[in-house]
Amino acid sequence: MAEDLVLDTAIRDWVLIPLSVVMVLIGVLRYFVSKLMRSSSQLPDPKIVKEGQVIIRARNLRAAANFIPAKSFRARKVYYSNEENGLLFVPKGQAQNAQAQMFSDPNMAMDMMKKNLSMIIPQTLTFAWVNFFFSGFVAAKIPFPLTQRFRSMLQNGIDLSTVDVSYVSSRSWYFLNLFGLRGLFSLILGEENATDDTQRMMQMSGFGMDPSKSLSAEKDGLDIVQHEWALPKFEQRAEAVLRKLVS
Amino acid sequence: MAGRVDSDKLKEKASDNLNDLPTFNAENMQNNAKVMYYSRTFMSIIGGVVAGILGLTGLMGFVFYFLIMGITSAGLAAKAGFSIHSYFDSWNKILLDGFFGGLMSFVLFWTFAYDIVHIF
Repeated sequence: MAEDLVLDTAIRDWVLIPLSVVMVLIGVLRYFVSKLMRSSSQLPDPKIVKEGQVIIRARNLRAAANFIPAKSFRARKVYYSNEENGLLFVPKGQAQNAQAQMFSDPNMAMDMMKKNLSMIIPQTLTFAWVNFFFSGFVAAKIPFPLTQRFRSMLQNGIDLSTVDVSYVSSRSWYFLNLFGLRGLFSLILGEENATDDTQRMMQMSGFGMDPSKSLSAEKDGLDIVQHEWALPKFEQRAEAVLRKLVS
Repeated sequence: MAGRVDSDKLKEKASDNLNDLPTFNAENMQNNAKVMYYSRTFMSIIGGVVAGILGLTGLMGFVFYFLIMGITSAGLAAKAGFSIHSYFDSWNKILLDGFFGGLMSFVLFWTFAYDIVHIF
């Protein structure tokens, strides 16, 4: 059970390499297609953009709070979180409206669905192709041993039970490629764009609730900030630096 | 290769407050993290190919992966001139960040090279 099988060279040439090449090419294709589809649509709603900018301003204020004097920080804080006309204060009814509007907006929904589909369809197609053409033989040997429980998962088309679990079918080679090529894509495509499922799902779930909840979240965050003047002896330090420069 | 060229762009990012709270420029920190990620991915791919060619199997291969990650961390620390605090938040970030992220790429290329070379 521990002998080395000798595998046909043709398997290397006609299974492993073409499968990897096809997956790389499909990844590149998907990246370009998603780029094309994204740029051809979408006039952003001005109200949403305005709210987004307000949030960014409030966030900057929170981050850099310690570099402005206490009085000016407080003035800015009141401007944002004032009860009557503060920028971050949204009455409850209006908040709900914005969220519902975003979800029922047909453009947005279709966009999300398009992105989802462009992820799922190539994977499904490739998997079906692999199963159809490349099943029933040993495709590769993984260099590390695994327990017997993995046998049913990795050796799908191979019906001999005495073959070492290290010899896997091409389906497991497909999955190995699927996970391993993500790193390669992030290198050759710039940002890791259309190939990471979990990242995009997080992005999508965060975007739906964005306007209504994050305004109040920013307001709370701003209320919490304690101002600590971070530049107390600044004049003396500036003087010391200038002296060093002059002398 | 993109990973190697970008490591020249590790930028100075903390303000030089000598006795005060350190402040970090978010954009530069993000750039540094990206450079580190690229470096690790690249090294894990190369390490995978090397491990396959050398014929390492089983536990030795994973030991080799950790060795490669350690070399990458040492290289990044050396590139930052060992003054970590002016480029990164803490030592943990440069040593452990993305440690296991390159594992899948490593295994893929390890399997690939091992098969091509040894079970031809």
